[in-house]
Amino acid sequence: MKLILSTSNIMKGGRPVIRLPLTQKSNVELIISLRSNFIASQQIDSNGSTNGNANGSHSIRQDYRSWTTEQDGALYIPAIDFSHPGLSEERDQYDITVKLFYLPGIPMSRRCAHTREAIDLVLKELHVKSIDLLIVSFPGILFDADDDSEDEEASLNGEPDDFDSMVQTWRVLESLHEQGMIAQLGVAEFGSERLARFLPHTQVKPSVDQINLKDCCVVPKSLILYAKQEKIQLLTHNDCNDILPVGTTRELLGPTEQGAGILASAPQAEDGIQGDVEPQWVVKYTAVVKDRGVVENKGYFALADVGPCVKDRA
Amino acid sequence: MGLLALGTALEWPEAKKKAGQVRQWGIEQLLANWRRARGKERDVLLWGDEVEYLVVAFDDTAKKSRLSLAQADILKSLARDEALWKSGGSRNGDNGEHDGEEPPHFHPEFGRFMLEATPGSPWGIGFKDLLKVESNMKWRREIAKAHMAPNESPLTLTTFPRLGTKDDYIQPYYPPSGPALRSQFVPDEIANPHIRFPTLAANIRSRRGRKVELNVPVFKDLNTPSPFKDPSVDYDLHIWPEDDDVRNGAAKDDHVYMDAMAFGMGSCCLQITFQAKNMTEGRRLYDQLSPLGPVLLALTAATPIYKGFLVDTDVRWNQISGAVDDRTPEELGEAPLKNDRWRIPKSRYASNSTYISQDPRLRKEYLDPDLVVDEDIKKRLIEGGMDDLLATHFAHLFIRDPLVIFSEDLEELDLDKDNHFENLQSTNWQHMRFKPPPSGSDIGWRVEFRPMEIQITDFENAAFSIFIVLITRAILSFDLNFYIPIPLTTENMETAHARNAVLDKKFYFRKDPFPRRVPRTPQQSTNGSTFSSATSSAVNTPPPSPPLGPVDTEYELMSISDIINGGPDGLFPGLIPLVESYLNSVNVDVETRCFLASYLDLIRKRADGTLWTGARWIREFVAKHPSYKHDSVVSEEITYDLVKAVEELTAKEGRNGSVGWELLRGKKN
Repeated sequence: MKLILSTSNIMKGGRPVIRLPLTQKSNVELIISLRSNFIASQQIDSNGSTNGNANGSHSIRQDYRSWTTEQDGALYIPAIDFSHPGLSEERDQYDITVKLFYLPGIPMSRRCAHTREAIDLVLKELHVKSIDLLIVSFPGILFDADDDSEDEEASLNGEPDDFDSMVQTWRVLESLHEQGMIAQLGVAEFGSERLARFLPHTQVKPSVDQINLKDCCVVPKSLILYAKQEKIQLLTHNDCNDILPVGTTRELLGPTEQGAGILASAPQAEDGIQGDVEPQWVVKYTAVVKDRGVVENKGYFALADVGPCVKDRA
Repeated sequence: MGLLALGTALEWPEAKKKAGQVRQWGIEQLLANWRRARGKERDVLLWGDEVEYLVVAFDDTAKKSRLSLAQADILKSLARDEALWKSGGSRNGDNGEHDGEEPPHFHPEFGRFMLEATPGSPWGIGFKDLLKVESNMKWRREIAKAHMAPNESPLTLTTFPRLGTKDDYIQPYYPPSGPALRSQFVPDEIANPHIRFPTLAANIRSRRGRKVELNVPVFKDLNTPSPFKDPSVDYDLHIWPEDDDVRNGAAKDDHVYMDAMAFGMGSCCLQITFQAKNMTEGRRLYDQLSPLGPVLLALTAATPIYKGFLVDTDVRWNQISGAVDDRTPEELGEAPLKNDRWRIPKSRYASNSTYISQDPRLRKEYLDPDLVVDEDIKKRLIEGGMDDLLATHFAHLFIRDPLVIFSEDLEELDLDKDNHFENLQSTNWQHMRFKPPPSGSDIGWRVEFRPMEIQITDFENAAFSIFIVLITRAILSFDLNFYIPIPLTTENMETAHARNAVLDKKFYFRKDPFPRRVPRTPQQSTNGSTFSSATSSAVNTPPPSPPLGPVDTEYELMSISDIINGGPDGLFPGLIPLVESYLNSVNVDVETRCFLASYLDLIRKRADGTLWTGARWIREFVAKHPSYKHDSVVSEEITYDLVKAVEELTAKEGRNGSVGWELLRGKKN
């Protein structure tokens, strides 16, 4: 079974985002805003009122079926009302940026479907037909500002993406671009060498390379020059490389005090869904009012598979 | 400083008779304009900064520095060049760096030793625009300097340390005690000769019934006499009736006494104006920025010297407030109300007293209980269709008398203009200003943020300007709520004056700035599809909110560092982390982010004390000067060295251990 986790609009969602130590590369924003959205949804259901304090514990455990919904084989956590208008003004007032995180250890063969799935959810959520910029983040690539060499150490959860699979994934994105669904494409954490290797294999060049730098004043000169020459915009971000590890996902959905009570508490228990959890992808979307620089809507979707032996399903 | 239309300015007794008419016409103009403009929508963010300069002349052989009264000549020369640029001629001092930027504008100010410069066209929110601000400020300074005498320099000091002393601190020299200011310290020629300015000063004095009265507590150093009696006060002057003021106790013990508008309106400020998307957004920004005013005042503190003495306050604000305080003894509460209409708690130049946003989070407990309102004007505005909050705001501004009235303007009411409205609006110098669109233009609703002190370097001025812009974006994006009761902002404004308030004082500030979470996923059934049928009504009606707690649980006393950087354990996340979080949500290119990081770093470190405020640096400079006698006196010699150091700091910005590194770098290398 698929689990579709969502944060709703985190700009209007209380206090999820802010208290990150500034230097910490962190997925805290995603985790906290998922958790607070789960809690808020449960509280609405239980007493018909809301509570701004998303950090409080909830003493009476709600049956997860009361605040989630199942549709077409997917469990929406929490339930989403897609009829709610996503944006308050006309489409052309916005810059919509979407960043798709392919997660480590997930077979390349699923990427086509995952990409469609993720984009479709965002389009449905924002009530738009297209997005302005899609940035894809491949697992295992780390940008190192000090020597401009990409660190391709395998992360704990999987192998780094090999070059061919990145190129193949790019084909999928190019076809979405062709269909008019995505205006511009971008990559994340590419150094100048990787860019130089990658560009010849693309029909639609990435127009953005997004890099995570604690101190963005130390971008390697080679990258700056190369990006300028290829007309690739270097943007900054503050996302975590391993944005949704398996353990974190289990904790989020699990039966403990901190969890949402989606997953069963014991192998035979009937208080939740049985089986292993495997996060597949995470997508972040941001809608910014262009001429005013106001972030009107920002949120995440994450998709996880759950069930017996999910790892074996191809 | 508002409109500079020429005409016959009425002296106070005449102006007073026409005050009611001007107010009435101003209100009609406001209503007409409000009806035209209230539906204005979707204006883009445009913003502008205003930088004000002192023109300082150096006499290096005599080691003297003076204020230069050359404003008119400089402006004339600048205007000639601007005309030349417009006709396609070459730009003075331009190396192509500013291609595509409109040449900056220069404006007169109250003081004849002052200049104001604004960018040639407003800034947008394109992040590339933010990068141009600092270089544009530097460009403005270069252009201004190029139109001055070789020994003159435009310096961004709030005040000239020896303005109003007995020596020849101005050039050319004029003796004090002129008919308009009647000051025993400064001549009438200190003010811009445009009829508006001397009239403004004279009518404030006439309306008050005496000279303005500024008493700033002196900084008591080791050798400062106690009690300190301002040695520059002349008790035996008998030229004007107002010379009696000091004999009637105007000059207080342990204070530096000043008696003219020039001591306040001769201060330089850094002001930022934003165009809002529409009236609603403008009203929201006006309210939300208001509690930040005292914080930014303390953080930009740069005014520790008046009339040749170190004082015990760090900022200019109350001196300007006193310098244009036109309240009568009755209005001040010093005499029983007989002729005047009401007691008025604040000067025309003061922290603001209204909230105007139609925001459900605005609790009536936040409003100023002492607000004075002209009920007839409010009634007229409400009859005219304006809502209660906004009508209250303008009916409050319109308790004042218009100070400068041109008789030509009283012949006919022109509802397509806003001269009468602006007459009152622009002489209400509160720390926030809500500006309706000027009639006959396509400018939108604007908000002006006015409390900041000018900083010595363009780097700092750009940093603070951009910081405020980014805060407005964070306010709108995160739907932040900074509301505290208005009297606390008034109190914070006083707190901000204390010596080293930035590190030593605490300010009332709201603990939790975040909106209450309003999820959009109410459930209709225990288990089933909520997608298909869940539509309007249930979704759009927010569930009942839990009752609000007492207002006094919403705020607490915080240090500036807590407010700017976030408290160690408090709820408040800090303005810089909020701005960083905003920046993490938008696409910012690497180069811009790097610039922004250096600006935010300055503010972060000012707040935590790693870097000094201008006020602290000036104090330390004086204290360490070999000729300083620890008697609070800032001599001509010290002043010369100080302004020389300021000139060097402006150019070198404390690089490589050069003078002033404590302000900008925090370490010598």
